[in-house]
Amino acid sequence: MATVPSDWSERSKELSVLLARSGLGDRQAFARLYERSSAHLFAVVLRINRDRAQAEDVLQEVYVNVWRAAKSFDAAQSQPLTWLTSIARNRAIDSLRRRQAEPQTQPANLNDDEDRNVYDDVPDDNAPTPLEMLGRASDARALARCMDGLTPPQRQSVALAFYDGLSHAEVAEHMREPLGTVKSWVRRALLALKACLDGAVARERSAGSP
Amino acid sequence: MDYSRPALADRLGAEYVAGTLRGPARRRFEALLAAHPALRASVRDWQDRLMPLSASLAPVAPPPRVWQRIETRIGFRPAAAPRWWAQLAVWRALAGVATAATLALALVVATPPPAQAPIVVVLSATTAPAGGVTPASFVASISADGRAMVTRPLTEVSVQPDRALELWAVPPSGAPRSLGLISASGATVVRQGKVLKDTAALAVSLEPPTGSPTGLPTGPVLYVGKLSS
Repeated sequence: MATVPSDWSERSKELSVLLARSGLGDRQAFARLYERSSAHLFAVVLRINRDRAQAEDVLQEVYVNVWRAAKSFDAAQSQPLTWLTSIARNRAIDSLRRRQAEPQTQPANLNDDEDRNVYDDVPDDNAPTPLEMLGRASDARALARCMDGLTPPQRQSVALAFYDGLSHAEVAEHMREPLGTVKSWVRRALLALKACLDGAVARERSAGSP
Repeated sequence: MDYSRPALADRLGAEYVAGTLRGPARRRFEALLAAHPALRASVRDWQDRLMPLSASLAPVAPPPRVWQRIETRIGFRPAAAPRWWAQLAVWRALAGVATAATLALALVVATPPPAQAPIVVVLSATTAPAGGVTPASFVASISADGRAMVTRPLTEVSVQPDRALELWAVPPSGAPRSLGLISASGATVVRQGKVLKDTAALAVSLEPPTGSPTGLPTGPVLYVGKLSS
C-alpha cells in the first residue's frame, strides 16, 4: 500500500538516527538504512527511468553517494527521507540525459508515435497514472488541500514533471499542448502550491502558539 | 544574473526540484548552488514542499544484487574471490622454489671446485603435507668422485619424534639402496662410497627411528631428486 505523507515525518525520524550513525561509519546502521529506504527510492528512480538495469545502477550510485555524504547530512536542515529522495531524484533525472533528445529543437519528435508511446496514457505495467498518485499523496495534510486548489491541467502537468521526470517539452508532448502553455501551467501550479503550503504552515504555527 | 534575487532564486529552485530544469541549465544550476546560499535555501524549501509527493509511490524492492554491489563499492566486502595468481600460497610456493634454486646455485658457486665440481641434487617434496612432515626440499651435494655426500634441508623439516628420514639411491631399474638416515634439521655427511654408481635419483622416505627394517623404503617417499648425467 502506498505511504501517505503523514508517515513522512515518522519514517524520517527513524532514518535520521540511522543516517547519523552511517555518517560515523556504522556499517550496520547503513545496512539498516538501505533496508528501510531502498524500496521507496527504487520506486522513485524506476518511475523516472523505467529501464530496470539503469534504475538499479542509479540506485547503487545513490547509496554509494549517501554513504559518502552521510557525514554532511544535517538533521536540523532537512528531513532524511526528503534528503534521500532528492538525491535519488537528481540521479534518476541525470540518468535520462541520453534519452532527452532535446525535443524542443526537434519538432519531428512531436509526430513520432513511437516516441510518444513511452509516455502513453495506457500504462504498460499497470502503474498508477501521475494523477492517481497525486490523489493518493493528497490523502493527508495540507498537500491535499493545496493540490485541490490547482486547476486540472496544472495538476496534471506538475504530476507528469514530478513523478515521471518529464521535461517541459515532454509534458507538452504528452498533453498535446503548446510548450509555452505547459510552462506557464507548471509555473503557476508551483507558485500556487507554494503560497498554499506556506500559508498552511503559517496557520499551523499561529494555531500552535497561545 | 543576480541569483540572490528572491523571485529568481525561487523560480529556479522550483524548476530544479520539480525536475523541469533540464540539460545544460540543470548542470549550470547545480554548479551555482555551491556559491549561492539563496539558491540552496530555495532548493531546500522546495524539496520540503514537493518530496512528500513521492510518498504515494508504491515501494519496489530492489533485487539483492544491488546491495551486494553497493557493499563492494564502499568496501564492505571483497570484490571477488582472488584469482589463483593472487593467492598468497602460490607466491609462497614460488618463493620457496626460487629460494631452493638460489641456494642450490649458491652451493655450486660458493664451493671452490676441487679437481672436479661436485654434483648438486635438489630433492623436492613429492606431495602436500603428509605423515606430520611439512613440505620442504633437501639439497644433496656429492663429491665428483661420488665418495662423499652432504645432505642439507633447505627449510626446517619437522618430523614426528618416532619417525626418521632415510636417504635412498634409486637405480634406473631395480630396488633402491639405503644410504642411511639423514638429519631433518641440519647437514648430514653420507659416506657410503660409490653413491653415483648406478644411481638415477635420490629419494628420502619416512621410516621408523632406526631406519627401514626391510632394507627397502616402507614409509612414504617425501622428496625426490634426479641426478642429471
